[in-house]
Amino acid sequence: MEEFRKKNELKRRVLVVDDEIINREILRNIISQDYEVYTAEDGEQALAMLSNSHMNFSLCLLDLLMPKMDGFELLERLKENEKLRRIPVIVLTSEKDAEVKAIRMGAADFITKPYIPEVVIARVERIIELSEGQRIISSTERDHLTNLYTKDFFFTYIRQIEEYQSETAIDAVVLNVDHFNLINECYGRKTGEEVLRNTARLIPEVFNDAIEIVCRAEDSVFYIYCKHHDNYEELSAKLQDLLSKQENSPKVRVSLGVYQNVETSVDVETRYDRARTASKQVEGDYTNQIYYYNDELHKKSIYEERLIGDFDESIANKYFKVFYQPKYDISGNEPRLCSAEALIRWNHPELGMISPGEFVPLFERNGLIQKLDRFVWEEAAAQIKTWKETYGKSIPVSVNVSRIDIYDLKLEERLQSLLGNNGLTANELLLEITESAYADDAKRLVEMVNNLRERGFRIEMDDFGSGYSSLNMLASIPVDILKLDMKFVQNMLKDEKSLKLVKLIMDIAGFLNIPVVAEGVEEENQIKLLKEMGCRIIQGYYFSKPVPPEEFVKFIERETERGN
Amino acid sequence: MITVEKLNEFGADTKDGISRCMGMESLYLKLVGMAPDEKNFDLLKESIEENDLDRAFEAAHALKGVMANLSLTPVSEKVSEITELLRGRTETDYGPLLNEILDLREKLKELCAD
Repeated sequence: MEEFRKKNELKRRVLVVDDEIINREILRNIISQDYEVYTAEDGEQALAMLSNSHMNFSLCLLDLLMPKMDGFELLERLKENEKLRRIPVIVLTSEKDAEVKAIRMGAADFITKPYIPEVVIARVERIIELSEGQRIISSTERDHLTNLYTKDFFFTYIRQIEEYQSETAIDAVVLNVDHFNLINECYGRKTGEEVLRNTARLIPEVFNDAIEIVCRAEDSVFYIYCKHHDNYEELSAKLQDLLSKQENSPKVRVSLGVYQNVETSVDVETRYDRARTASKQVEGDYTNQIYYYNDELHKKSIYEERLIGDFDESIANKYFKVFYQPKYDISGNEPRLCSAEALIRWNHPELGMISPGEFVPLFERNGLIQKLDRFVWEEAAAQIKTWKETYGKSIPVSVNVSRIDIYDLKLEERLQSLLGNNGLTANELLLEITESAYADDAKRLVEMVNNLRERGFRIEMDDFGSGYSSLNMLASIPVDILKLDMKFVQNMLKDEKSLKLVKLIMDIAGFLNIPVVAEGVEEENQIKLLKEMGCRIIQGYYFSKPVPPEEFVKFIERETERGN
Repeated sequence: MITVEKLNEFGADTKDGISRCMGMESLYLKLVGMAPDEKNFDLLKESIEENDLDRAFEAAHALKGVMANLSLTPVSEKVSEITELLRGRTETDYGPLLNEILDLREKLKELCAD
């Protein structure tokens, strides 16, 4: 900032207020080298100039004894005004008593007459610097919407408090206004903001501890530092009740994550990470609103932290392995290998094989899945190339494209260059997307799918029927293949409803002329039934579990023999 | 025309005064030239004549600041003296001291007019 000012020769404005022209001119001359100096003859004139918001004065040098409005009165008037209060005032005086009085009234400093130029310059500089620094602090100290502390300052204050009060039992509480995005969507942003302001105002009322501090840490997430409470049911019920009773307020639901009796040796940020982990267990859960951080959760989060910490190294050392599960075309008399699905496995050097169920959801939450997806894409593309070179046969492989990848604007380019690098064509790398991505950002998803299809890629809709499947989605996204969620297949022989649903999906797919892949097929009977319903491609343990590439070659070899 | 020499003769600490004007002699002389017209000389005189010591103190006090800033030592010494007396609202005959101050003002005026 300072450099910017100097470079642009921006001078700060200083107002000199004195009824004595000789004093005014001496002062003006002393500081005009570094500042743009304006003068006023009395308090009234000064007030008018300071109130002019275009002037934006950085400092006022004020004589105390003046006609009309004297310096003391002006100080009083400045103090009353929210905007003018921020302009620092240096009082010009030769009276000892007046100095003390003026400083008590809010003056930042004083300069005595006769002036000593070096002293004047130094004091002016110092006060402007201090007041600007203070202003930066106060503008970052508070959250503008709720006037609560910001997270950084919240943490700083806690550390300060604990230097003096380390004996008291303390809880770290994270409070979340549930479904806040829905409040915004349904009632508008203004209402949403009002809910947050009300929450900010009511938390201190409800908690009402001598040592409680609150901050807004994220959009609808509040951190509370308070004395230990055995339980928070009553507090949260009271808060929720008060919130919903506010004028024009929608029904508000809050969830709490509580880390009780914090160990003060644990640093402040970690305490709130823990409380936040707890709060995430109940976010949006209508049956339970409060979750207390416990040993189990502690172990889980430490385990997850470890997985996250080991991620990069595991990518670099290829502890992640891509396995392949064959897909067979059953339309003829004999099933024929037609493609494969790439599935990630993690062979951790110390923890052994880790199930994707443990790490995929975790990496989906924190975004690492994007890196993992790219790793799989590269491995799979290289594998297709190897098989092609070894067996002269192309085995298309499906790879996963996660929800987060959709936001990668270079996705299309990235995949295209992957093909180029491995000498593949677009129909050799099948792309699986899930329907949940459609719920995130339908517009971008449709755009992406269209771009990829134009480049020749084929798109598979994974887990169809497992989530919020909508016919609307099928109509707006031109997918090439539907993958039937494996639960349907597994239940269709036991449960009439599942069977009917499978039939229905097969009918819809037939109507739209989209082939269906059935996953999770384990038995002969299932194959028979699926074939009758018109399903052509089968994936599942019936043929093989996912296997490492060196084992997968036997399927290719068998297929090559058959072909011969 | 007022000059630094004349002011030195008068007893002013011109070196100090000029340095307060950031070395600008012309500005210093210009401001000194305005000093005899200081309204507070008249205010001081009037209020002492009317025995309004509060007002007299304010005038003296303001005058003291200006004279000190110009380093017009002989004037500011006398003005300081009267300011201190007035601060305590001392009941005394201010006439002689006031006259000395007014004489100095006249002398300064002559120096400027020469």
